[in-house]
Amino acid sequence: MEPAEARATEPVIRLENVSKLYRGVPAVKNVSFELRRGEIHALLGENGAGKSTLTKIIAGVVEASSGRMIHNGVEAAYANPNAALQAGIAMVFQETSLVPSMTVAQNLYLGSEKFLNRLRGIYISAQQFLQSLNFSVDPTAMVETLGAAKKQMVEIARAVHHNAEVIIFDEPTATLTPEEKRHFFALVRRLKARGVSIVFISHALEEALLLSDRITILRDGELVATGETASFDREKIIAAMVGRTLSAELYRQRDEAKIRKAGRKVLSVQDISMGAAVRNNSFSVFEGQITGVFGLIGSGRTETFKIVSGIYKRDFLRGGSIELDDRPVRYVVPREAVKDGIVYVTEDRKSEGFFETMSIAENLFGGLLAADREQHRIISHAEMHELSREWSKQLNIRAINDNARVVELSGGNQQKVVIGKGLVQKPRIVIFDEPTRGVDVGAIAEIHQIINRLADEGLAVVVISSYLPEILNLSDRILVCRQGRIVEEFSPTEATEGKIMYAAVH
Amino acid sequence: MVAKGRLFGPGAFNQERIVLATAIAIFAVASFALPGFFTAENIVTIVRSVSVLGILSLGMAVVIIGRGIDLSMVAIMAMSVAAYLQLLANGMSDGAALALVLAGVIGIGLLNGFLVAYAEVPALFVTLASASFIFGYVRSQVIGADAVPVPRAHWVASLGSVQFLDIPIEVFIFAALALAMFLFLRFTKWGRFVYYAGDNPVAARNAGMPARPMLVLRYVISAMFAFIAGILTAASLHSMNTRVVNSTLLYDIVLVAVIGGIGLSGGKGGVRNVLIGAALTGVLLNAMTIIDIPLIYQNLIKSTILLAAIIFDGLINPRDEQTAQQGDI
Repeated sequence: MEPAEARATEPVIRLENVSKLYRGVPAVKNVSFELRRGEIHALLGENGAGKSTLTKIIAGVVEASSGRMIHNGVEAAYANPNAALQAGIAMVFQETSLVPSMTVAQNLYLGSEKFLNRLRGIYISAQQFLQSLNFSVDPTAMVETLGAAKKQMVEIARAVHHNAEVIIFDEPTATLTPEEKRHFFALVRRLKARGVSIVFISHALEEALLLSDRITILRDGELVATGETASFDREKIIAAMVGRTLSAELYRQRDEAKIRKAGRKVLSVQDISMGAAVRNNSFSVFEGQITGVFGLIGSGRTETFKIVSGIYKRDFLRGGSIELDDRPVRYVVPREAVKDGIVYVTEDRKSEGFFETMSIAENLFGGLLAADREQHRIISHAEMHELSREWSKQLNIRAINDNARVVELSGGNQQKVVIGKGLVQKPRIVIFDEPTRGVDVGAIAEIHQIINRLADEGLAVVVISSYLPEILNLSDRILVCRQGRIVEEFSPTEATEGKIMYAAVH
Repeated sequence: MVAKGRLFGPGAFNQERIVLATAIAIFAVASFALPGFFTAENIVTIVRSVSVLGILSLGMAVVIIGRGIDLSMVAIMAMSVAAYLQLLANGMSDGAALALVLAGVIGIGLLNGFLVAYAEVPALFVTLASASFIFGYVRSQVIGADAVPVPRAHWVASLGSVQFLDIPIEVFIFAALALAMFLFLRFTKWGRFVYYAGDNPVAARNAGMPARPMLVLRYVISAMFAFIAGILTAASLHSMNTRVVNSTLLYDIVLVAVIGGIGLSGGKGGVRNVLIGAALTGVLLNAMTIIDIPLIYQNLIKSTILLAAIIFDGLINPRDEQTAQQGDI
């Protein structure tokens, strides 16, 4: 067969049975994927479905554990993003990879400078190049002064400048305004017209339906559906995204009689904002029940509750109020929130949850000291060990002894330590952010038990999760967060995975 | 068995033993090989020289355990006492001069702490800048010469000759301060907070500890310890020579802390580590002086040991075991 002929029919990229394991945990399982020449291919799926990993394998950012990639009919594996770029595959990341203190032109030519580099020369050629793409970006502008959309244009221009025939966009529209989005779509279509193949990761189904030629849907690292965009509609996509086979036992539907009634309203949030992450958000939290909060990445759910617990400061000038027991509160540091009984259990336990070089006992005791419930001027080490014994038993934290360092424990035990560190503070409102992330199945069940017990004891409990079965299994009330605000509320009896996902995507 | 040695967390355990053994070994070898080393007089000299260094290191230790560093300690030590002595010479009453200087010392500590905690400037730069500011200001505006003598029959002068059981007073002061620091770090709430903040500042803040006021307190403590060390230096030498600011004393302080096993990554070590570090440093410096190694070679040896200790510290107490996250799946 003639090479030219082969090029025309052969897809640009073909993945055959590609898998990727992170420390034994599969992120991508046996995926076979085809990217045709000059198509726009949307890649959809929940958080953690494996979209980013799959594209990172193509772009040489991560190495596949097994399987092979065929690029233009030749088997290829790129060791790093630069090698992939030289071969014509460019990836535009969520966080841009531009050098902020350099000009647009310098960024365009980064890595391909001549030995003697004349700034004026590259400004002129950059100007011509940007004009040929119809991009209105000033090549002499410093990248840090540009908005998100223009930065993206520069990234794209850089990809095109390297003659990329495949460009991968990871959540390109998440940070764009509607106006910028329109520009972006026009741009992607122009790239397509130039024969560039595009992979487009998104949470926004409408965008995918509008823009793409074909759609592939991943779930739990597996490819569940792929086909022409015309053969999909919103319902079909959502069904494919959430349809679940796994863990039906662990995550069974709630028994209607067991749904807890709302107690007294303890927390009332009105109209709070913080930058672009939280926009005029309003909701309430009640005692004696679990309020589940679902949202995709970038929906502002974590930021919202970090504001409530005093970790972040909201934009006070933009108004709004937070009321605890009908009393307005304005926390500047977490200490004030902790004293008022609000505890936030972080989603990132290693960097902001536990004290890694310290023992379980010291970690738990740290929570007690910080809360200052009893006046502990003088420390009793006997009391510390007593506290540790009691809580290790209550939360079933397993370690050789309570002097074991927390960093040596398993993910599940670490998470229990972080939870325990919060619970010794005797909170009234506990906010769990992704309480079972990176935790083994046995510990998940135990942590769910702990959470349920707290609500039964009358505490106001909030569970933030991007895992739908967890939300459905735990919540007595479900809030859905999208673009920085709570947009919908469901009762667990009416909620289904499909309905929640429908509300969460935009 | 693991439990015993690591009341303040692990890591320090092995290094402590190695350093202590080294100190004893050097002491033993020097006692046999060096005439005049193992005499009552010389041992008092060692303990005495170590006392001032030890007091400074106690102050530095509190800051380092909380994941900071105070490079302004030597400047505070020399310039506060020099200013105090100069004010006395200018005819100010003792009480007023002491109050003024103490206020200045606490003020510098507060300023250092404020800039690190609230303005979020790295401690290295804040304290480096405040060190040269203090030196420049006091040297140019307050005192007239490099060295300021202690006035005759002043209490600082008589302090230098106070002895108890033939042991100079600074040894007792060092012991008292070490005990006080031990009790503070081990048995008070704010002392424990130093370790939490040093281990994981973000987690400490989120758990509701008063992270920023605590940070300020640590720099005030180190400034106060520097002042006490300065008074003792003036007491034994009957003057305060401000050239010490440009000497290698600052590195000796860091050497004592790091070599004793107080990790620069924070959250580790305690008073015991300062004592061990001070023992090794004191024996080493004294032995080198008796052998009559020229000062420049002493500095070379000290800096090599410090570098080795910091590298060793970095190896056994990595700042972050795996910042590398497994990535967005």
